[in-house]
Amino acid sequence: MSPPDIELISVKNLHKSFGVTKVLRGLNFTVRSGQIHALLGGNGAGKSTMIRIITGGIRKDDGEITFSSSNAAEPKIAVVHQELALLPDLSVAENIALVHAASGRSIVRPRQQAEIAHAALSLIDPQLAARDLHLKASELSMHEGQIVEIARALSTGAEVLLLDEPTANLTAGETERLFLVLRRLVREKNIGIVFVSHRMKEIRQLCDVCTIIRDGLTAVDAAPLSTLTDSEIVHQMGQPAHRDEQRKRRNITTAEGSIMLKGPTGDVLVRKGQILGLAGAPAGPSQLIALLNGTGRASRWSIAAEGWPSHPLSPRQAIDLGIGYVSGDRHTKGVLAQLPIVDNVLASRRIRERRYWVHGEERNECMELVQRLKLKAGSIWDLPGTLSGGNQQKLLVARWLAMPLKLVVFEEPTRGVDIGTKRDIYGLIRTMAEQGTTVVWWSTENVELLELCDEILAFDTEGHAKGLLPPDRFNEDALADLTGMAA
Amino acid sequence: MNTKVQHMTSKSDNASAPRMPSIFSVYRSELAIAAACVVLLVGVGIFVPAALSSGNFSNILQASAPLVIMSLGVLIVIITGGIDLSVGSIFSLTGMVTALAMANGFDEVTSSLAGLAVGVIFGSINGILITLVGLAPFVVTLITYAVAASLAFIVTNGRSLGVNSPDYWLLNSGEMIPGLPNFVLFCLIFTIVLEFVLRKVTAGRWFYSIGSSPVAAYLLGIPVKRTRFAAYVISGTMASFAGLLTVSYILNAEATAGASLMLQAIAAVVIGGASLSGGTGSAIGAVLGALMITIIQNGVNLIGINSFWQGSVTGLAILVAVLIDRFSHQ
Repeated sequence: MSPPDIELISVKNLHKSFGVTKVLRGLNFTVRSGQIHALLGGNGAGKSTMIRIITGGIRKDDGEITFSSSNAAEPKIAVVHQELALLPDLSVAENIALVHAASGRSIVRPRQQAEIAHAALSLIDPQLAARDLHLKASELSMHEGQIVEIARALSTGAEVLLLDEPTANLTAGETERLFLVLRRLVREKNIGIVFVSHRMKEIRQLCDVCTIIRDGLTAVDAAPLSTLTDSEIVHQMGQPAHRDEQRKRRNITTAEGSIMLKGPTGDVLVRKGQILGLAGAPAGPSQLIALLNGTGRASRWSIAAEGWPSHPLSPRQAIDLGIGYVSGDRHTKGVLAQLPIVDNVLASRRIRERRYWVHGEERNECMELVQRLKLKAGSIWDLPGTLSGGNQQKLLVARWLAMPLKLVVFEEPTRGVDIGTKRDIYGLIRTMAEQGTTVVWWSTENVELLELCDEILAFDTEGHAKGLLPPDRFNEDALADLTGMAA
Repeated sequence: MNTKVQHMTSKSDNASAPRMPSIFSVYRSELAIAAACVVLLVGVGIFVPAALSSGNFSNILQASAPLVIMSLGVLIVIITGGIDLSVGSIFSLTGMVTALAMANGFDEVTSSLAGLAVGVIFGSINGILITLVGLAPFVVTLITYAVAASLAFIVTNGRSLGVNSPDYWLLNSGEMIPGLPNFVLFCLIFTIVLEFVLRKVTAGRWFYSIGSSPVAAYLLGIPVKRTRFAAYVISGTMASFAGLLTVSYILNAEATAGASLMLQAIAAVVIGGASLSGGTGSAIGAVLGALMITIIQNGVNLIGINSFWQGSVTGLAILVAVLIDRFSHQ
């Protein structure tokens, strides 16, 4: 008897806007039981917004979501995120049993907790169940932690498992084992799994069907993966062409002011005013970025450039050498939320130029930058929190404008900003390069790298440099192939 | 302090020459605290007219001087997102060391420097353990609080010590500027200097930057460790100086002199508009907070309420201040 094939979740014509930005514009998505479903889409395509609506985190504006189940009740949906959601100081048994406690008033019975947890873990990995039950969650490896989370989700009777980039922090062997578990679960328990990932190889290994979201619309709806080629997937995910102002690549031949990046598998020479793109999963680019911004003293990479040490020892030294740094993680690595815009913009310059006083001229200096960036700020004494996310990101770029820089490092500078701001940021990167600043730019959106860079260094998912692409070899398939990432 | 410029949005002037925020909008919450102090004083004055006499005003100023100075030090630490629990003990130990040095025949200046050294040393220990070893400020200053408090007993075996030096009172009550007692002068100087440093000196802005986001501050090239270290040394030294002023005023040192001051100083900073999560606060606010606490204590005494109520009234004042701060930001 074949298990019943049910539409567990059916999303039709889903709409959602944040302010004036339309994130979802009529999205369709269906999860069936007994299938592993790849959910693909570039940054900002609307994947996470849809997931948050399905799981009840935010409300939809319009559209229809129906849940059905083999039992009478609504299916339970469990999400497992890239970062673990276990309580680190509680034991594995407690972590699993916690969600079973009927209320806060029930008495903790360790033996009962252990039984619940053991039963849940045995479904997946009897060995783990026997070994790890009484370990603290913080003592588990990433893989074990993920298994525990999945076990916890299933033990509550979840019929849909949403895995949001679960392999991002796993080694190849761990990924292999996780996939075995997932396939067995689908076969034996007839659940539906939604797998969000950027890694083409893994998607091919694991998934049956795939849905691709682009610009808030469903570009490919539950197509069997065997009917799609890699390059079709890449093109479906690719953002609509915006190449209105195709960059003229300048032929820079002078070696003066060039920077040699010496890596474990080969050296890369970046010439003055060139834009070097870094493509691939975080593991590789983050090593190189840490070297350049002065936080990676022990990086496997080193610099060879005139008058520069091989490893800048601190961000302070990096700034004194003329290296700027802009992170897309603006909340933790960028914005000083409680200081006015003027302090945010001028902090590094005060240090670089050894300014001891906050003098009146800074007003005009800051104002000029704010106007150049077309920042919509009420006053330069407002807090950055009064700006939109995209404008906050531009604020971080403003820090380095009009300061003599030799090198500027961008770390996913367009993460979570709208398309208009992206254009603005591309323009700023280009201007900086034209003024003779060398740019090193990591992005997980291959399209933007292909559009703007002079050369692209591709890293695979393990963090090894896989090769340097010159412009005549720029194409999305080559990049997807080298990095193992679909976007 | 920075949140208060929020409402100053002049969208109409198209930014050719940015106008500075007006003094009223910058010091909005300080003005509110000052107004609250006046209301409290007048309220007490209704019951006890003597509360509004110049004699009582100078009592309040004298009583608040050590707290004002200590609060300014604690403020810097709180702006960086830290906390300093050791200031009360440092205050007590400073008094004991200074009095002991004078009792052993050292002159006033040497003895005072020995007292100040207590603050510098304990502040440095705090700073080193927090920045280099990476321990939590709460834990580190809890340790130094306990150690300094017990040392204050150990140095004289628990006895209080009188100061016999005939001129030592001049430190607190002398008048380097005729008509202006030194304790007022010191408070004014510290307040003005600190307010200036925090607003107009690059290194002063670093305290706020670190409290706002230590990672972002580090990546901007701000010397996070040195700045943090400096905050704890300043805090310890200010607490020591407050201890010296008190010894000079009452000419007596006691091991428990500063026991209640640590919480009062933190309260003053919080009433003054600083957030314990760091990144905000102003010197003038902290001073007004310290004045408010002193006015409450003074009022409770004058009205003749059992002085055990002081703590409750102060607690209520903190609650009101924090609530106003919270809802004025929404």
